[in-house]
Amino acid sequence: MAAKQKLMSVRRDWRERDVRVVLVALVIAVATVATIALFANQLQRTLVSSASSFLAADRQLEAENGRPVPQAWIEEARDRGLETGQMIEFSTMVLGESEFQLVSVKAVSDEYPLRGEIEIQPTADATRHMVGSGPGRGELWVNPRLLRLLELDIGDTLEVGNLELTITSLLLREPDGGFRLSSLAPRVMIHVDDVPQTGVIQDGSRAEYVYLFAGADNILDDYFQWLEPQLEPSHKWESVRDGETFSRSLERAERFLLLGGSLAVLLAAVAVAVASRQYALSQRDTVALLKTLGLSSKGIGGLYLRRLALWGIAGALGGLLVALPLFWILVRLLSDVLEQPVDFYLDPAALVPALLTALVSLFAFAYPPIRRLRHVAAMRVLRSQPGETGREAIPDIIIAIVAVFALVWLYAGEIALVVSLLGGLVLLLAVLALLGGLMVAALRRVRGGGNAWRLALVGLYRHRQASMAQMAVFAMTLMLAATLILVRTSLLDDWQSQLPDNAPNHFLINIAPDAVDEVEAFWSDRGAPLDSVYPMVRGRLTELNDQPVQEAVSKDERVGALNRELNLTWMAELPADNEIVAGAWFAQGDTEGVSVEAELAERLGLVMGDRLTFTIGSETVTEPITSIRTVQWDSMQPNFYMAFPPGGGLANMPGTWITSFHLDESNKIALNEFSRRFPTVSVLEIDHIIERIQQIVRQVTQAIEAILALILAAAFVVMAAVVSATLKDRQREGALLRTLGGQQSLLARSTMLEFAILGFFAGILGIIAAEAAVYALQARMFEGNFNWHWQVMLPIPFISALLLALFGRWQLRPVLNVSPMLLLRRLE
Amino acid sequence: MNQMTDLSTTDTSPMLRVTNLTHRVGLEIDTLTILQGVSLEINRGESVAIVGRSGSGKTTLLGLLAGLDTPTEGTVSLDGAQISSLSEDERARLRASRVGFVFQSFQLLPALSALENVMLPLELAGMEAPEVRAKELLERVGLGERLNHTPRQLSGGEQQRVAIARAFASDPVILFADEPTGNLDNRTGQDVSDLLMELNREQGTTLVMVTHDEHLAARCGRQLHIEAGILTEPELARERAN
Ligand SMILES: Nc1ncnc2c1ncn2[C@@H]1O[C@H](COP(=O)(O)OP(=O)(O)OP(=O)(O)O)[C@@H](O)[C@H]1O
Ligand SMILES: [Mg+2]
Repeated sequence: MAAKQKLMSVRRDWRERDVRVVLVALVIAVATVATIALFANQLQRTLVSSASSFLAADRQLEAENGRPVPQAWIEEARDRGLETGQMIEFSTMVLGESEFQLVSVKAVSDEYPLRGEIEIQPTADATRHMVGSGPGRGELWVNPRLLRLLELDIGDTLEVGNLELTITSLLLREPDGGFRLSSLAPRVMIHVDDVPQTGVIQDGSRAEYVYLFAGADNILDDYFQWLEPQLEPSHKWESVRDGETFSRSLERAERFLLLGGSLAVLLAAVAVAVASRQYALSQRDTVALLKTLGLSSKGIGGLYLRRLALWGIAGALGGLLVALPLFWILVRLLSDVLEQPVDFYLDPAALVPALLTALVSLFAFAYPPIRRLRHVAAMRVLRSQPGETGREAIPDIIIAIVAVFALVWLYAGEIALVVSLLGGLVLLLAVLALLGGLMVAALRRVRGGGNAWRLALVGLYRHRQASMAQMAVFAMTLMLAATLILVRTSLLDDWQSQLPDNAPNHFLINIAPDAVDEVEAFWSDRGAPLDSVYPMVRGRLTELNDQPVQEAVSKDERVGALNRELNLTWMAELPADNEIVAGAWFAQGDTEGVSVEAELAERLGLVMGDRLTFTIGSETVTEPITSIRTVQWDSMQPNFYMAFPPGGGLANMPGTWITSFHLDESNKIALNEFSRRFPTVSVLEIDHIIERIQQIVRQVTQAIEAILALILAAAFVVMAAVVSATLKDRQREGALLRTLGGQQSLLARSTMLEFAILGFFAGILGIIAAEAAVYALQARMFEGNFNWHWQVMLPIPFISALLLALFGRWQLRPVLNVSPMLLLRRLE
Repeated sequence: MNQMTDLSTTDTSPMLRVTNLTHRVGLEIDTLTILQGVSLEINRGESVAIVGRSGSGKTTLLGLLAGLDTPTEGTVSLDGAQISSLSEDERARLRASRVGFVFQSFQLLPALSALENVMLPLELAGMEAPEVRAKELLERVGLGERLNHTPRQLSGGEQQRVAIARAFASDPVILFADEPTGNLDNRTGQDVSDLLMELNREQGTTLVMVTHDEHLAARCGRQLHIEAGILTEPELARERAN
């Protein structure tokens, strides 16, 4: 092999410690970013498809007006290559052995469900299993509780309207167990083609036609664009993303992943920058010699540029080689959590950010110090030249900072993230400068001596520039890791508090006012006390400041809320999860005013003091807005757009009561007795949905923890890179000290102390900066409230002190265990 | 190679002409004058030793003569080229084809084998069959058996012999050496300087050498003294005095 080519071979480079660090950092950067991107993609798809099954499709079109939509709409969807399906939901009375029972019928086409599966049990003692389509013609699947209410068995027949159907299976869980009011009664499922023969649906009877669509996102979006102008107000287009319940969890998980990816990029960038600077310094002699032998500075530039390119290729390939198996493991974990096989979804586009990271890391972080090699004086071969003062590196640092934030921005697409992280870093550097100044001033006084502490402090002072640089990098690394830990902790807490184990999972609707006490007593006797019970009055918002609301509100804002009846309530206390954003909650004894939900108020352009007129049956009520409040729709509590004070506008309006409560699986049998005693009260069972959401949260949590582990590994490599940067000097110094008679144990202790002090202060700086960054992030990206996290943060300085001390000790082991003579020769 | 000798005999212009060379470096407070008013001519095929006390400016002068650095004042012309007015890259090109170096600390690239170290200047000068020529030279310096050893596997004397082979590899017209025996013991130093002188004679190269070694200096055709940055030539001075 030609000598010049050999100078550039990666295999040869690998023997050089700094190159190894650069390559490892590159591999980690590429691997982390690629894994995160791949996995985020996979998670997104899995979550969406798992959440899609809440709709039993990717999109649903609901016609609430009781009429089917034009067939042309469905044909258009099919022409565009979308899968379609249909269902009709309606309520009807059926006659069991001894009594009539109101049931909610869901009639489904062969294609149902397009997403997700139905859980059934063909006989009472068969095992439950999942199936991919609904009952055939002539069949009927039934909710187990209903079967008991009707005193029927599998194999019996049941008449729905005029049609006699055979009960062939128990219906345990349907993928799209939504909150539709029409489905309050116990469920039976039949085939959609049997509906006409039942004769139940006639003009004017209440039925809901629901159309299912599935396909690629862009086709669905295009289709909706085509469809939208033709939709009537009673048509509702639903996608998973709109579903209040998951969107927040999904969005936050995505942001967390983005944040993690960005931090990985930052960490890798730091490692690459540190190691390549070190590498450049070590290459100066070689460059001087090459120049002496006649290589021009252009030739030198080309040589190192080609070398960088080789590193880039090696780093990218290595990174992918790590990322793919890792991704495979994560997906396997995911399917374990989901208890169902997950299809791999390897999107090549997800690799672009990883390769871009490699490219930018190399050219923005590794290249600048290496580029300056061209200016090394040839005279260096004859006499060592004044070293770099560090001032030359300032443009490098500026280039690096700009590049890294451009990368994070590009990658996360969140200016808030970039600003928060940058702010945290600036704060960190400012505090470091201050603290460093003080420390150097204090250390100056320390005199050396035979004591490990003194030796450590003197060591810190003697290497004050390197010490400060190391501290800056350690602190930055710790800050990034701490930020991630903090965000993860608050994210999980938030999810946990959103859906605690005893979250309400059943709603009782339609409780007659005089039955409220009895219902409450029924459930508290059975150990499942009700949460708050709210009155509910159905009414329509008709006037705004004495003008018909359709005129008062601009056309675009004629939201669904105006077309249907709203649930109105009255209550004395503000529910715990509501928050007043304008005005004040009703005082004791207030009877005037109405409190409006914030998002609706915003969409309709309502402000404090606006007078709202509601039409309830034949009556009207007019009240001024006295407060605007936010509502947590995903709290699984009854929520209301409009709340009146007790004795206020709704005082004499006809209404029923609604409540939610937690009922354990083991207690569910009590529902039968309840239905018999309170036949008019509707029970809405959402325990399966809650379980699903909890499952999703669990799986996202696992993913987050896996990614956190990856990032902490990246952080460790950065630290290692930085410590190794001064390794040679330290080893030489240690060897010299030992030659001059320093004892091994003294040397070991003072080195460990020196690193421990560095680690401790870096830890303190890191957590201060992390709290600052999280403060900004929390407010802007995760919509959470900021809390201090001392329990999480406090151990960090101690852990970093310990780890660094051990690492320092480990790095010094060749100096400690070998005879000084051998050492000096080896280090020459 | 013979051609080279012919050239040096036919071309009578000096190989190296230095006029009024002054070199100063700026220190933090004031400037330090390292060389002052050095003028000198070295003819083709001459061998010249520069001697002087430590810190007198020998290395600085050598660096300027070889075009590794540029002087504060004065001119240096090497083989007809005004190197003090050339750009850095032009000087590098000149070095690649016409200048060889031997250093006190050998300056071999630790990652390359002996053979590759010798091939390097040949490749940089774009010569053909670098491997053949490099092998030939390594055999000439007595290391034909050690071609694939890296510098770490060689003794100091062996390393310096590789360096000498490298210095002569690209057929330089002039060779600069800075204390080539400075890091070697007497015996080895002797061997190495024998080799250096022999090769120099064979190739007809002009040699400029800084040395502390009086024997070695005495073997050169001409000795220059430098003291506190001022160059004197004892024999010339004696001649003039006579
Ligand atoms: N860049 C520089 N900055 C400051 N002083 C310098 C610089 N270069 C050389 N000197 C000083 O100039 C003087 C001459 O240096 P030079 O290396 O040429 O001496 P030398 O004769 O080769 O000595 P030795 O025999 O010890 O190698 C020394 O005092 C040295 O410290
Ligand atoms: Mg010298």
